[in-house]
Amino acid sequence: MDTHRLLNVVDRISTWAGKASAWLIMALMIVVCVEVFKRYLLNAPTAYIYDVNNMLYGTLFMMCGAYALAQNAHVRGDFLYSSMKPRTQATLDLVLYLAFFIPGILGLMYAGWDYAADSWRIREHSNVTSDGPPVYQFKAIIPLAGTLVMLQGIAEIVRCVMCLKTGDWPERLKDAEEIDVVEQQLAKSEYVDQESRERAIAHVQEIDDAARQRGMGGDAKL
Amino acid sequence: MSDPALGILMLTLIVVVIMLGFPTAFTLMGLGMMFGFIAYYDPSQAWTQNKVFDLITERTYGAMNNESLISIPLFVLMGYVMERGALVDKMFYSIQLAFRGVPASLAVATLIVCTFWGIASGLVGAVVVLMGVIAFNPMLKAGYDVKLASGVITAGGTLGILIPPSVMIIVYAAVAGQSVVKLYASAMFPGFFLSLLYLVYIVGWALINPKIAPKSEAKIPVPDWVHRFQQAYSRNMLIGLAKSLVSPAKASTIEIAGTPIRYPTLVGNFVAALFPLVLCAVTLWGIWWYVVIHPLADVPPSAPVPAAASGQSAPAAAGPAEPAADSAAEEKPQELGGTASEAAPQSATKEGDGLQEMGDPELAKQIASAPADAGPPPEFFTYFWIIVGLTALMLLWYYAKMGAEQFELLKLLTSSVMPLGILTFVVLAVILFGITTATESAAIGAAGAFLMGFQAKTLDWERVKQSVFLTAKTTAMVCWLFVGSALFSGVFAILGGQQLVEHWVLSFNLTPVQFMILSQAIIFVLGWPLEWTEIIVIFVPIFLPLLKHFNIDPILWGTLVFVNLQAAFLSPPVAMSAFYLKGVSPPHVTLNQIFAGMMPYMLVVILCMVIMYVWPGMTLWLPNYLYGGG
Repeated sequence: MDTHRLLNVVDRISTWAGKASAWLIMALMIVVCVEVFKRYLLNAPTAYIYDVNNMLYGTLFMMCGAYALAQNAHVRGDFLYSSMKPRTQATLDLVLYLAFFIPGILGLMYAGWDYAADSWRIREHSNVTSDGPPVYQFKAIIPLAGTLVMLQGIAEIVRCVMCLKTGDWPERLKDAEEIDVVEQQLAKSEYVDQESRERAIAHVQEIDDAARQRGMGGDAKL
Repeated sequence: MSDPALGILMLTLIVVVIMLGFPTAFTLMGLGMMFGFIAYYDPSQAWTQNKVFDLITERTYGAMNNESLISIPLFVLMGYVMERGALVDKMFYSIQLAFRGVPASLAVATLIVCTFWGIASGLVGAVVVLMGVIAFNPMLKAGYDVKLASGVITAGGTLGILIPPSVMIIVYAAVAGQSVVKLYASAMFPGFFLSLLYLVYIVGWALINPKIAPKSEAKIPVPDWVHRFQQAYSRNMLIGLAKSLVSPAKASTIEIAGTPIRYPTLVGNFVAALFPLVLCAVTLWGIWWYVVIHPLADVPPSAPVPAAASGQSAPAAAGPAEPAADSAAEEKPQELGGTASEAAPQSATKEGDGLQEMGDPELAKQIASAPADAGPPPEFFTYFWIIVGLTALMLLWYYAKMGAEQFELLKLLTSSVMPLGILTFVVLAVILFGITTATESAAIGAAGAFLMGFQAKTLDWERVKQSVFLTAKTTAMVCWLFVGSALFSGVFAILGGQQLVEHWVLSFNLTPVQFMILSQAIIFVLGWPLEWTEIIVIFVPIFLPLLKHFNIDPILWGTLVFVNLQAAFLSPPVAMSAFYLKGVSPPHVTLNQIFAGMMPYMLVVILCMVIMYVWPGMTLWLPNYLYGGG
């Protein structure tokens, strides 16, 4: 049971970091809207807006890499994959994590560390405008995000091993999913009859899974 | 092993590993790192000094500073918020009532809702499931042909990835180094042209064979008070409401759900009744502002005050230029169809010499240079006033026969379709007319989506949180993929794999047409097992450098790819949308029926591609007109 606890902790760290950074999107939206107001209405554009936007956006997506991995949200060619047995999936994943993921992300961490350290040493500032804002803290995001993704990647490797042992994938944390919108739209609908509403809401997850398998026996289940 | 051979090995490995289902971003990163290490290997250096480590940080930091990609999280957020904030079922209900006179009205309404939703979001699965519940069962109950009903939902559901503002287009722009705005402009016509072709197909089929789509018997529900209101004042609601504002005494005897009508209710209804008039006026004023006032403000740079003043009206005025035309088309399709489609392009294009010549990019360039140089040409004023006159006549005719049903329908449409419609068209128009950048209009769009949701009381804290987290996940997915592919393609180029592919393709001595067909056919086949993200980020860059050998415009080619992926996602037996629809349809509908229903739409998409290729002006005219020669 201890491994489960460990997995859970790592998942929580990644998810927490991702969700915390996710709110940067609101900041980005507000910053850009304020800038639109300032530039077009007050005719007073901000000099360092370009850097601020990039930092908000860059931090957002880099820090969410581990979160997306913890939620299995990174795009994968699931055409064949989704029709395999969990054990086959886990074997493949395990081999590929060791062969591709570990060297790739280790490289990113190592190179990013050097890169950020150099920048930090000279207290680098942006050169987009004269007297630009500092960028060393932004560059430090690269090794930081790399470390988070690596941590989550190790958790995924542990998942694969556990799946090989038990034959089932360990559960992930529950989180918002795209297909949830169906329930939100239909739950209070006045124009759709109750029976089809409830049927759709109850089965939406199965439908999503079956559609992703595209005909690999997906038809039989429905 | 020679370097180019390594490059080919790398390409083969990536295809194999993607098929095995490993997260693509990390596959790209790992392969890039390993092959880059080999490519840069220098025995005289310590291995820790290998240049691949410079490459990866440079590529990662490049993606973190990529100006095109910034608009992705903002547009994605806008899409998620709209999806949660809009009332799709009410939208379908009101549009279906508005079109009750048209053949196959339910199918037409489905297509329109899908097109609207395509503007808002790019998610195929959720749209198909929702429309399956909201529209598919009513269509079957009304006796529609299963093939017609299933085809329109699956085809309409995939439109979302094509119609701007779509994330796919931003990613292509970033990959190909093209301007997002230009690509949006070029995808505009094909996107709406495709939904028009679908529409023609549905209505045409229903006219030839009325049995497949029985006529709608839907009645517009008119509340009791409206009838009594009509008796008290006038059969015409506009006149009645105007009278009641002057003498509200009679109205106070009428009750709505137990409480008598108060004055603010009357004012509210009167304003609702005036909505079409306001919309037309704002649209026409927007056209006038863009053509006559806006260029003047740009000419004297030493006059900051008028420039600021015109900037102020920008989002409000230029925006609704199209929505009005569009909403008018919804209310009275047959009568207004002509003017609605003319209104937007005509006022702008007729400054040139005519519609026929729009096809020719050279002439389009000449036309484009005209308005920028010297104010609006004299023809503009003639056409403008003709349009004003026609619009006024139409409004007069519309208000003259505005009965209770018309009034209720108007109120339904205003509350369900208008907010979403106006917001999306403001966002698009502001980008397309070059008033703001894509990032800025995406931010305004996202903020507007929040306002719309709060106004409609559909957004709560839970849904806001969900939208933010989903945005984060989607952005991370797309951008990490971009980081991986930036490293991968860098290494691929260093190994010389790119040259090898180029030599190999050029050795076939293909004509540009052959190359075009071959490249699109490959992308079509890739569209079966893969998602658009992988195709655009990994495979499209392989074709891009070849385009200049064949003198193919990357904008036209990209737009063809977008349309092509529509066809790929509609092709049996791999189309996901069919499985989504099957999941929510009644048991007697078989998967084969759904596939059979999709086939004609796939052919329509291919027809659309042929038209686009034969007549590139349709795609390239708008970007060339708005931003000068391509």
